[in-house]
Amino acid sequence: MVSASDFPILSRTVNGKRLVYLDNAATTQKPQVVIDAMNRYYTNSNANVHRAVHTLAGEATDGYEACRTSLKSWFNADRLVLTSGTTEAINLVAHGWGRANLKQGDAIVLTEMEHHSDIVPWQMLSKERGVELRYVPVLEDMTLDMEAFEASLPGAKLVCVVHTSNVLGVRNPVERIIEQAHASGARVLLDAAQGAPHTRIDVTDMDVDFLAVSAHKMLGPTGIGCLTVKEDAFAEMAPFMGGGDMIDQVTVEGSTYQENEHKFEAGTPRIAEAIGWKAAMDYLEQVDLEVEHHRLLNIARWTAEALRGLGCTVYGRHDDLDSAVVSFLHPSLHAEDMAHLLDAQGFAVRTGHHCAQPLLHRLGISSTVRASFYLYNTMEEAEGLVEALGHVLERFGGSA
Amino acid sequence: MISEALQEVIEELADIEDRMERFEFIFDLAEEVLDLPVEAWTDENRVKGCQSQAHLEIRLDNGVVHLRGGADARLVQGLMGLLALGMHGQPLDVAQAMTVDHIKEAGVLNSLTPSRSNGVRTMFDMITSVLEAMNHGE
Ligand SMILES: Cc1ncc(COP(=O)(O)O)c(C=O)c1O
Repeated sequence: MVSASDFPILSRTVNGKRLVYLDNAATTQKPQVVIDAMNRYYTNSNANVHRAVHTLAGEATDGYEACRTSLKSWFNADRLVLTSGTTEAINLVAHGWGRANLKQGDAIVLTEMEHHSDIVPWQMLSKERGVELRYVPVLEDMTLDMEAFEASLPGAKLVCVVHTSNVLGVRNPVERIIEQAHASGARVLLDAAQGAPHTRIDVTDMDVDFLAVSAHKMLGPTGIGCLTVKEDAFAEMAPFMGGGDMIDQVTVEGSTYQENEHKFEAGTPRIAEAIGWKAAMDYLEQVDLEVEHHRLLNIARWTAEALRGLGCTVYGRHDDLDSAVVSFLHPSLHAEDMAHLLDAQGFAVRTGHHCAQPLLHRLGISSTVRASFYLYNTMEEAEGLVEALGHVLERFGGSA
Repeated sequence: MISEALQEVIEELADIEDRMERFEFIFDLAEEVLDLPVEAWTDENRVKGCQSQAHLEIRLDNGVVHLRGGADARLVQGLMGLLALGMHGQPLDVAQAMTVDHIKEAGVLNSLTPSRSNGVRTMFDMITSVLEAMNHGE
């Protein structure tokens, strides 16, 4: 069981009120064990990795590689490249796999539900290589149009889908998507920035080729994430960033590269962040994510219902596998005003387009207010949010 | 020297301690800016980088600044009102005496860095650069 007291930041006040942090889909707070692990590394073991024989270098290397080992086991992955986050992981697929395997006339299937991080790299590649991009529409019920998805598969070499939407919390039918994509000869990249924090993902069981994750959305530090890669897809990838750590031999005539994941980790890596992430994974190992998922989904369902009761429109459906995200709008108060007024009462929520403009465009809106719950959040906090919002609407929601 | 109207509002704000009351006060300032009707919202007068829709028209007439503004968020409209109090109908030198720090004194924004997406900073920079350009153009 997670205790809010494990997270030092949660005891601070904001604008004179106790902080209620409900912007977890943007980033989560860090437990003391993560902060301590990073402090300990800089206090005791700081050194560069993979390069020297001295004791500190050994400790740093072990700490860095222990993160990879822990994540590989968590995700049951063949290969796991440490990146700066989901965005870099997706860009790594675009540069490392896409450039080596896609040519003019090939197609990539995306969806309207994607975060900009899973759109822009493909637009860039499309411009460079003449690769066609096909977008699967989002239906009225806020799910992917699976018929359109199937129809988009012929000729596609890669399918890029968000596992769980950061705006709607909708968890996509990724098993079916993977099966159909593979049957038609396309590889699959899942953007699991939102999925990974809420559910245990087994990439081997799911048979997914690439999975992109950010540590900071699952209690870990910012600046680190990973890409899991299936062995045969790994063999098809070429390095795109050159430098130290990724080479085997360098001569003035040319270089040969490392064979393992280091090939894609050029330069001094994020050592403290890896050590912090490992500590976060150890913490998560102690949590029953399935139990927590149900608890948080219940809170989200209750909140959605209560907000509807206040006259809000809620965007999302909160099905059994969806994440605890509640996106909403009220007809008489702009999203941005609402967020400022909630902040004045200690509630941290997000507003804006959530880096998913195509999705919002499809929904016919330009922003939402989003409350997203994570392990340390409670029903009382949700009740507090609804009460605060009720006050805000009473006082400021007069004229539309 | 900033305008008297702006000076007065800043003094009034200084007496408000409750954050919600500050918001109420700023929201009410929305009335202080001449309305730029939606029909007049163009890409040229759009405040870029603003999360909400915001448009500002800035003119210089015989050395006097004219502002019209419109926004869908009331906070943004209120802050436009604050800008209008400091600048609208004022000679250039008075208008230019207003700085981002005067917006800070409203005490409702947590950040006024250029990249902060509420765009109030952008709004301010937009006015000052337009005024600057007009000044040099004359
Ligand atoms: C669905 C989704 N994809 C990608 C990202 C990008 O993650 P990062 O900024 O950590 O690279 C996010 C984060 O907001 C996200 O929610």
